[in-house]
Amino acid sequence: MAQNLLKIKTKNSVAQTNPPHFYWREVDGAYLISNDSGCHAWLDAAAFKRFSAGTLREKDKAFEELSSKGFIRDRLDFADLAAKWKSKNSHLSCGPGLHIFVMTLRCDHKCLYCQSGAISLSAKGADMKWPAAKKSVDFAFQTTAPGLTIEFQGGEPLLNWAVLKKTVSYARKKEKLSGKRLNLGLVSNFSRMTEGYARFLLENEVSLCTSLDGPADLHNRNRICSGGNAHVSVRKWLRYFTRRNTGQGAGYRIFKPSALLTVTKFSLGRAPEIIDEYAGLGLEDVFIRPLSPIGYAKNSWSAIGYTAADFVAFYKESLGYILKLNRKGAVIREKMAAMLLEKIIGFSDPGYLDMRCPCGAAVGQIAYNYNGDLYTCDEGRMAAWEGDDLFKIGNVFRDSYKKAVSCSTARSCVAASELHLQPACSRCAYSPYCGVCPVYNYEAQGSLWGNMPANERCAFMKGIFGILFSKLKNSKDREILQKWVKK
Amino acid sequence: MGEKVKSHSRRIMFSKQIYAAEAVKLAAYVFSDKADIKLASSAGGVEAEVSWEGKDCAVAGEFANEVLNQQCRLDLAVKNGKVANMIVTKALLSASGETVKKRGKQ
Ligand code: SF4
Repeated sequence: MAQNLLKIKTKNSVAQTNPPHFYWREVDGAYLISNDSGCHAWLDAAAFKRFSAGTLREKDKAFEELSSKGFIRDRLDFADLAAKWKSKNSHLSCGPGLHIFVMTLRCDHKCLYCQSGAISLSAKGADMKWPAAKKSVDFAFQTTAPGLTIEFQGGEPLLNWAVLKKTVSYARKKEKLSGKRLNLGLVSNFSRMTEGYARFLLENEVSLCTSLDGPADLHNRNRICSGGNAHVSVRKWLRYFTRRNTGQGAGYRIFKPSALLTVTKFSLGRAPEIIDEYAGLGLEDVFIRPLSPIGYAKNSWSAIGYTAADFVAFYKESLGYILKLNRKGAVIREKMAAMLLEKIIGFSDPGYLDMRCPCGAAVGQIAYNYNGDLYTCDEGRMAAWEGDDLFKIGNVFRDSYKKAVSCSTARSCVAASELHLQPACSRCAYSPYCGVCPVYNYEAQGSLWGNMPANERCAFMKGIFGILFSKLKNSKDREILQKWVKK
Repeated sequence: MGEKVKSHSRRIMFSKQIYAAEAVKLAAYVFSDKADIKLASSAGGVEAEVSWEGKDCAVAGEFANEVLNQQCRLDLAVKNGKVANMIVTKALLSASGETVKKRGKQ
């Protein structure tokens, strides 16, 4: 390491000329600085002034910290900084790892924010047929990534059980032949889950994820189920899979079930109750997700939407409450925070496709529609459901893997989400950890690159980063947050 | 009886000292579903006539912001284009399975 350390001593001990490239942001009178390697530090106004003018002295209190983090030009440890950058951006060295299979468009729920283009139970020609499923598995295994995850989604994927079952078995066989590591996941509302289905899924090591929006009244208001009480089945099966996870010992791995929390206008002001619902069910992660004005949610925005400031206030209250539970000994974390912290303090790539540069469209994930059409991501497929096929990258029956991942749509999305080319992001202190979404930009602002100063998703992210960095400044909160990384 | 839809029209001059014609054209394309935009070149730069219907009075201002956004993107491409291209190329090649050809080697 020593030979990589460029060290120039100066007579007057002003060891710095102009600082190397850095990002900064003023937060409540203090200055957060960051760099491309993902290091960050806080400076008070006077130290920031000296630092940015290149007149910081070795005897300055902040000097040692800034030296070790790559902010002092003549003390750069290139090997260390490059290793951090590489690890944080390891996605650049492998291809699409996430493969989303839309097993059917049919669903027995009519959720207020549904983005997936779900249609009624009786609709015809909306299920993935076996030839398309088989071809999709073959296609997915062509990925250049060393391992892959196939995630079954819908609509409600359990409505197409026969094909789903066959696809799971086929993918597991293919895993053995290919030598690629395979993860399987199912995203379901659990309304159609049975003991038999559950047994098969567990035996085949399929991880399970559902939606849980909070206590019964809130969940059922957001997630309207045609055949009964959505909340009851979610709770029942979350308990079932948690019990099975605790029991283990069956000769195969049983994963802990997980749940996603979609925040609507009706969630605002109810953060503690919602978190308690998760904690009460023994769930260790709450994944707080804002609404996106994509798909069906775009049309119902006036009824369920909110401003970025509303969401950020909700997030702050939720995170504060989760930290409070942690202080009392509970094991529970907020998933988005945990993934961002992996980059901020862990310098590693959490595989969060929405928050990376460039975004995961086609190069990190591919969505397979029921008919074999391929999209950059599930959001891109949803945009197509609204009548715009811009994000389509091919079809499993007609196009090769190579053609799909390098088509002009894929290239455009990748280029549009490169943050060094985004005017606001290229100067933003959060950019080493952030990512933009071309589908969101296109849906909300009419272009793939968007315009960040007026972009609500950017406002959400600025709010979340602001909260996280402030929490990291507090030693008690930092201690808890550090435990969330690489749990 | 429906409310009468209000028509608006604004002319904005984008000085060539600051804006490239490409930035104005890109912004006009982004705004093509929000307003009718006619572009004309003049000695001083590009003049845009922005016409739209409805209650929203901010459309012309938003268009000017988009032109600024596009100009900043073009300027950034000059400044950061090299690093951005390397990252974009790496991501695309890794996904497709191709490798970067070393310069000077066949
Ligand atoms: S999207 Fe917003 S928060 Fe993220 S890097 Fe860009 S400007 Fe910063």
